[in-house]
Amino acid sequence: MGRKRQGPPASVPGHGEGSEQGGRDRPAEEERAGPLAIARHLKDDGRALILYTHAEREPV
Amino acid sequence: VTELRFNELRGEQVDYAIHRQERTFLPAREHCPLDPTLPGRPPTEIPFPSFQIAVFDNRFPAFEAPMGAAEVVVYTDSHEGSFATLTPQRAEDLMWVWRHRYLELGAREDVDYVFIFENRGVEVGVTLHHPHGQIYGYPFIPPVPALELAADERLGGCAPCSLLGDELADGRRVVYASASVVAYVPFAARWAYEVHAVMRDHRPSLGECDAGELRQLSVALQTIVRGYDALFERPFPYVMAVHQAPTAGPTEATRAGRRETSSAQQAAGGRGHLHVEFYPPLRTADKLKYLAGSEQGAGTFISDTLPEDSAAILREAISHVA
Repeated sequence: MGRKRQGPPASVPGHGEGSEQGGRDRPAEEERAGPLAIARHLKDDGRALILYTHAEREPV
Repeated sequence: VTELRFNELRGEQVDYAIHRQERTFLPAREHCPLDPTLPGRPPTEIPFPSFQIAVFDNRFPAFEAPMGAAEVVVYTDSHEGSFATLTPQRAEDLMWVWRHRYLELGAREDVDYVFIFENRGVEVGVTLHHPHGQIYGYPFIPPVPALELAADERLGGCAPCSLLGDELADGRRVVYASASVVAYVPFAARWAYEVHAVMRDHRPSLGECDAGELRQLSVALQTIVRGYDALFERPFPYVMAVHQAPTAGPTEATRAGRRETSSAQQAAGGRGHLHVEFYPPLRTADKLKYLAGSEQGAGTFISDTLPEDSAAILREAISHVA
């Protein structure tokens, strides 16, 4: 098989706003999907949670 | 733990996910697991007091790594409403989420087909009323997409492109049209108010769509479901199924964007044509179409309505909401 990734993205426990709510975050890094900002978290049971928030980029 | 067994008589995979027997089933309003987690309240699936769109691994997955994926897509933190009542901006944002999940899941070795769908209404088996959809990453190409690929072979090219041309030439079954999307009740629809929303230009997947096309797709889909709700002046149950190119085979699909995705699809043969199919079980305001003897035992749908007639009725309903 080719160069597809093996399984889901590796989970990296980190810190952030989710920690207070029971989730574990990855280290902050900017990730986007078009006009959406992406924030990845890990739930307490290890399942992935992704929050998408509309955040248009300011013109450069 | 899931187990795939191959049904030799049907030539198809059957997925056994017996843990799903215990999944949450129509919980009381105050126990909705898709609500945000509010201060002083029990935690839900989303441990934040507010959010826009959330995607998480299904607690009761039909597929899971290293044999696929099952995700839940929550459209809003508001418990009330539906895909039809999302703001236009949120619906457009959802298209970007779908695109992102298609690219990311499709890049996985254990995902050969990314299937985005929504079940709306208890009539089609909804177990949670909070506006949401699901995504399955199949570790194989399922029968329906495989049949679409076979149709390409039979018609000597992209089947949805060919069928779209036929529908536009005929015109009687078209219920909605914009610069990028055409929706029609298919010539041989199985369901009375079945609708296919098809990209005008050949786009194998959401990954090949530009921002304008994604916007127009969201407008088309919302117009269709609002028309459905207007049809019998009641929440209209449906299954909404997003069909795209399979992601089987060696690919370079990454989050990097359109160019990489295009090469990925070329590696997989470039086959598939993004379209969204709706299967509504209602044939009248209070009568359901059941899959009975002929449909289940022989595989032949028996319909009580002609697509041309139901298209005219649906077109009228859509004209009041567009």
